[in-house]
Amino acid sequence: MRETWSDLPETAQNLGLLALLLLPLAVLAVALWRGFAPGPLVRALLWRFRWANAVYAVLIAVSTGLGVGILAQERGLRQGTAQAASKFDMVVAAPGSEMTAMLAAVFLQPSAIPLIDGATYAEIADHPRVVLAAPIAFGDSWEGRPVVGSTADFVTYLVDGEIEGRLFRTSAEAVAGALVPLSIGDRFVPAHGDGEAADAGAHDAEIEVVGRMPPTGSPWDNALIVPVESVWETHGLANGHPLSEGDRIGPPFSPRHFPGTPAILVKPDGFSAAYALRAEINARDDLMAFFPGAVLSDLYRVMGDVRQAMSLMTLVTQGLVALSVLLGLFILSRLFARQLALLRALGAPGRFVMAVVWGYGTVLTLIGAGAGLLVGLSAASVLSRIVTARTDIAITSSLGWTEVHLLAGFVSIVSILTLIPAVAVLRQPVVKGLRA
Amino acid sequence: MTTDPAPPLSVRNLRVAGDRGRQILAVDALEVAPGESLGIRGPSGAGKSTLLHALAGLLPVSGEVRWGDTDLATLSGAARAAFRARTIGMIFQDFLLFDELDPVANAGVTALFASRAERAARRARARDLLRALGVPGEARSVASFSGGERQRVSVARALAAGAPVLLADEPTASLHRKAADALIDDLLAEVAAGRTLIVASHDEHLLSALSRVVELRDGVLPGEGGGHA
Repeated sequence: MRETWSDLPETAQNLGLLALLLLPLAVLAVALWRGFAPGPLVRALLWRFRWANAVYAVLIAVSTGLGVGILAQERGLRQGTAQAASKFDMVVAAPGSEMTAMLAAVFLQPSAIPLIDGATYAEIADHPRVVLAAPIAFGDSWEGRPVVGSTADFVTYLVDGEIEGRLFRTSAEAVAGALVPLSIGDRFVPAHGDGEAADAGAHDAEIEVVGRMPPTGSPWDNALIVPVESVWETHGLANGHPLSEGDRIGPPFSPRHFPGTPAILVKPDGFSAAYALRAEINARDDLMAFFPGAVLSDLYRVMGDVRQAMSLMTLVTQGLVALSVLLGLFILSRLFARQLALLRALGAPGRFVMAVVWGYGTVLTLIGAGAGLLVGLSAASVLSRIVTARTDIAITSSLGWTEVHLLAGFVSIVSILTLIPAVAVLRQPVVKGLRA
Repeated sequence: MTTDPAPPLSVRNLRVAGDRGRQILAVDALEVAPGESLGIRGPSGAGKSTLLHALAGLLPVSGEVRWGDTDLATLSGAARAAFRARTIGMIFQDFLLFDELDPVANAGVTALFASRAERAARRARARDLLRALGVPGEARSVASFSGGERQRVSVARALAAGAPVLLADEPTASLHRKAADALIDDLLAEVAAGRTLIVASHDEHLLSALSRVVELRDGVLPGEGGGHA
């Protein structure tokens, strides 16, 4: 049975789980409504207490919206960061925090990291199982956007060769990310440092934008990539090549003239090579190598724990809201006691009276849960835009099966609990109700 | 829709106990023939409404409340409800309408729990009855109706299910004289059509129009008590 289930396509599994979660609701609906038409009376109840109903619907919407929002946001963050890091197979940096190095090299969050020297870079670049070893030299900026030094091969790899204009050919040229407000032919002067501490007057080398990258959904969309030689030269350092090579840019670099790089993007020639290389590098004292994907996985695990804690809190909130809705149903059914007693006096079967009360409570829950879906997705969407604006990581919040399952479970549980006031109504003596 | 012939009513040693077990109604014997109109007179608190509720099977009773071959005292709550749905139409002093529904939906409210086959017919009958009673059936809701119009909607509701017996509790108490007289005419027309009518009322005008009146005092109706109108 378990094997059959796991053999099913994911969509089928999700649909199956949804059907399972909604089964109690469906069974109750059929059991109570079969052969009756309580709809007009349910609508009458909803309309008569419309303001109280609206308050309950808002309560349900907020509590379910919290759950939906957290789930959608967490998934959006996970997918966005994974997508942003997808091109970064392996990063090599000086020993320290993998998270710090990843945030700096992959997500371009400013950080002071020790440099890797030229001999070490050359060892990695010349390794037989390395396809690409690109220095990633960060630290400068232009109007708050990172200016990163690397190689033309790195740019080609990052955007799969899809570039508007051309790659840089001299150290006075740059390629701009999709969100950088500079056109081809525009010029800029990098500031030393980044953020509020950036010194706009520290450098005087003017750099021309010669190409623009398509959107990648990563912080690189807001970056200006220059030849790594340009970064070194603007800081008054050697440019990675002996004087005899003139203004040549790009690898190979001369270890003797290589001022250093905080990180190296490495693309090994395969899966096994990646693990072998990582083990080889991590055996050294002066380097560390890590897979950004693995570091993100650790981060997701922490995020998952936080999500679980928050989900638990929202479940508790939803439980409390469900209880308050039940209490409200008790109160409202008392207010409606005369009409319900009238139905019984007219000969309505107990099942019909239950169907009216249950239908009223369930429709109210469905309206609240539907609104909660919109509230949650809207909140997640707004939050995603804020995170995207602040990190340049393309975060999109969309409706996922988890949220649908959460809502289906909530609605089903409340629909079962709604039987309590529905049964309680039947226990009230008819005559007492008529005289209420 | 056809209306079943009204069953005769036979009550024997009917006793109803109140909340604390105190006896609040005692009827030794009461007979009502099919198509008869019976009034129940008595001061407030005498037990008139309680008697109507007992006759409708809305209260747990001891003794015998027999409509034709059916003794309500021996039936379960569900069976009594089913019997009411088939046999008894009820009219209340304050109408008990759903203000959110239109007149046809109110008059045809029993269609909502009738069988699917009968539902449309019952709604059509509700519409016809409202027309016959002079109630504007096309109104959006009954909330703006006068007391007389509201009571006529409740009469249409009692009749739409085709019940051969009408039990009315102070049906004219909330109406001004003219509306009350019109309602009395409507009720008597139903009696003329073969329905049994049992009315609890203070309204002497109404009671005087009925074929027989019994009087309840302190919850007691001894034998075939009361006087004829």
